[in-house]
Amino acid sequence: MNPHPPGPFSDPAALPDLPTAVPVEFDRSWFNDLETRHEKGGPWDDWKLFNLALEAETASLVTSFEEMQCLKHLQSVTPLPHQTETARKVLFEMRGRAILADEVGLGKTIEAGLILKEYIVRGLVKKALILVPASLVLQWVRELNQKFGIPAVAQKKEHSWHNDVVVASMDTAKRDPHKNILLSNEYDLVIVDEAHKLKNKKTTNYQFMLQLRKKYCLLLTATPVQNDLGELFNLITLLKPGQLGGQSEFAANFVVDKRLPKNEGQLKDELAKVMIRNRRGDGELEFTKRIVRNIDVELSQEEKNLYDGVTSFIKDQYNAAGGDLNSMLSLVTLQREVCSSRDAVFVTLVNLSKKLAPDSPIRDRIWDLVDLIRQIKANSKAEKAMELIREMNDKVIVFTEYRATQEYLLKYFRDRGMTAVPYRGGMNRGKKDWMMDLFRGRAQVMIATEAGGEGINLQFCHQMINFDLPWNPMRVEQRIGRVHRLGQTNDVNIYNLSTKGTIEEHILHLLHEKINMFEMVIGHLDVILERFEKQHSLEKSIYQIILESGSDEEIASRVDSLGHEFHTIKSELDAEAEGNENEGGLQQLLGG
Amino acid sequence: MSMTREQIRDYVLTYLEATECQFLEKSPHHVTVKLSPRADRDLTNRPYYWGFIERTGAEPETMSFSFVFDPEALQAAEAAKAAQDNPSLGPQQQMEAAQEDTLLGRYFGAVRPLPVLGPGRIQREELAFGSPRLKQIFEAARRGGRYVYLFEEPGQRQRMALLPAAYEPWLGVCFKVEFCCDMKREELHFYGVSLLTGAVDESFQTRIAAKPLVPRLPENVHIEPTQLSLDAARTALEQRLAERIAAYDDTWAQEARERLNDELALIDAYYKDLVKDPEPERAQGASEQYESRRDEIRWQYEPRIVVSALGCGIFHLRSPR
Repeated sequence: MNPHPPGPFSDPAALPDLPTAVPVEFDRSWFNDLETRHEKGGPWDDWKLFNLALEAETASLVTSFEEMQCLKHLQSVTPLPHQTETARKVLFEMRGRAILADEVGLGKTIEAGLILKEYIVRGLVKKALILVPASLVLQWVRELNQKFGIPAVAQKKEHSWHNDVVVASMDTAKRDPHKNILLSNEYDLVIVDEAHKLKNKKTTNYQFMLQLRKKYCLLLTATPVQNDLGELFNLITLLKPGQLGGQSEFAANFVVDKRLPKNEGQLKDELAKVMIRNRRGDGELEFTKRIVRNIDVELSQEEKNLYDGVTSFIKDQYNAAGGDLNSMLSLVTLQREVCSSRDAVFVTLVNLSKKLAPDSPIRDRIWDLVDLIRQIKANSKAEKAMELIREMNDKVIVFTEYRATQEYLLKYFRDRGMTAVPYRGGMNRGKKDWMMDLFRGRAQVMIATEAGGEGINLQFCHQMINFDLPWNPMRVEQRIGRVHRLGQTNDVNIYNLSTKGTIEEHILHLLHEKINMFEMVIGHLDVILERFEKQHSLEKSIYQIILESGSDEEIASRVDSLGHEFHTIKSELDAEAEGNENEGGLQQLLGG
Repeated sequence: MSMTREQIRDYVLTYLEATECQFLEKSPHHVTVKLSPRADRDLTNRPYYWGFIERTGAEPETMSFSFVFDPEALQAAEAAKAAQDNPSLGPQQQMEAAQEDTLLGRYFGAVRPLPVLGPGRIQREELAFGSPRLKQIFEAARRGGRYVYLFEEPGQRQRMALLPAAYEPWLGVCFKVEFCCDMKREELHFYGVSLLTGAVDESFQTRIAAKPLVPRLPENVHIEPTQLSLDAARTALEQRLAERIAAYDDTWAQEARERLNDELALIDAYYKDLVKDPEPERAQGASEQYESRRDEIRWQYEPRIVVSALGCGIFHLRSPR
């Protein structure tokens, strides 16, 4: 449909006596067919179908160079204004080579889909390759199929590459034998999601992309520049080598220090030619508020006993293991579970005892703990949650980390006449969708163990309960992101249940008051965390605190200092973001 | 351009009639059909099944479809009908009752979880502009309506006439002209050339629009012998089209060339030092990259015009003389 331009001398069809400025290429395959049929006296086609073909072509004709066609071909998706505008810019100003750098949650996938669709409708793209992290392959395929009516195929076998629109993971694509197949092909459009993985020139990812032959190219990333201006230069070199000059000119013209640009205005102008970054707070992209309420739950005496029992059990084991943290991970889980439900603890204890030798002394300790579990008659948190939900009288999603807690809550609610539906990572796609439908239509409550990944978009719900808290702030953010996202019209109420006098109280204190993450602008957290975790893992630091602290006060003060560290990084980043009017910083470069 | 619901309905009905499908149900909002073997091959994407039928000579079982043109109107009509059948329940309650049964029933296992599969199942699909099924029908029409050989229907009176009517053969071609650079615009031109006189008609579509055309030679007509070979006729048409295109404003192409040159200049600047790397291996790699970047950019921007034919045919029309 849109072949390579003919070479200067390979154009036999151009009529020599009509020197037009633009080469005209006549495709004469029709003529041979016609002649053959004429000689043989047929077969001839139906006149009605001939007219239908003409009508179809007239209706689908692209009559203008510069008018978006794709919107009238789309029924299952209504793009937001900033998404349509972004697609328009990429198509008609950036000419199909661009970095889409919207902040998290603003719909980069939709923008890329619109652009791909437009090119397909215009017949400018036939073969397209979409490279994404392995975990997102199916999601991309589904979105392109359902929302855009683009027959995309997930790469599974070698022959999958023959399809016109293929979604594959970068890790597969860059390996042989796939690599050779891809490099011997050429693609009308290549889309790379999570393109910040291409920032290092020396990686195989980067080298592979450099070799891949492509006409148009979209790079999607929420963090086009994280630590080093050179990363940005490398990304742009993939798209448009020379846009920022050569490597040395770039360094001379635009870089003071790897985090400090110069001639910022000029650099920004150059960037604007290849990169679009929509941000929250720009115009209509205002998000609703997050209203956080922490709810203390008083443990019953029996529950308290279990908590103390588990704590001392873990500490003893830790000391016995000589302070080796890595061997303790499964045990520390117990400590987290005990804040959630006795069911969760029980399952882990049973699994633990199965692994032990029959004569191990630890078995007795475990059975002591199981005895403590037996004593527990009620779950204080579940009672509190029930009370909250009754008060709200509204749709609410309850998040827990543990399958056992989920099952318990389902039964607990059902016994009390409240319909709740489950949602977990292990469900297949169809079941997930169906649970969503049930929640939207019939059930007041959804109990979910999975927040990450894809698919649960619950804009219609604006109440959420954290039945227990993950110790990783990103997971908390993912939970909130299910509900607090583009299209949410109400303020979102977040209820955190925390058991008094337990580690949970400290974690909540850290996340809420120290990191202030429940109200933080989305998208900044990952940057802070990445920098924080360069030194040590946050989750592990918390484990260590629990295991090594002698008293509650010690836990409190050590959690505090963790919070301080976090705070320091945040202020550093803020300083970089605000920058000095004269010096500027990376974030400001991105319009921060 | 696009199509309205009514246009889509008319279009699909014409297609189904032309391929001799069997209509089971028809309303202004939908149509239910059992496909003809031809339409089944066009639309259901079952080459293995049809291969099997051909090899074994078994009786084919074609699929049935419900094509919905206006889902809301159809739903309203169905609800109204259901309310009539069962007046005790309002349409709202009825819909809710039905939904409750299937949704919760499925969850608790009372209703079987999957819709009926296999023969007898009628697949329901909404046809809107841009939907894959409609595109498939477009494609089927394009494939099945490319080459025609037709005669003007002379009417009843000619049969009784004393002298045979004189018929003039024409070559008609519907050209699609694509103006490509990094963007694209298209035009259709339905030209015809008389194989008798060599006269070119640029609005051939108008010429044949009002005429009833049939595939068989009517009685009592006389086809005048052709003076022009098909090859010469084609050249005449192409020549005329090329003249017309040459007269077009080519600002779009000039602009595309400017963009192309700007991009090439950037690439030149970026690679000019890299290709002179003192290390031969690196210089080699850089110059390979340089070439392939230049190729990509030309592929992306270089303006060109591609002319293809959507369909063509020999048309025998009554001579004006």
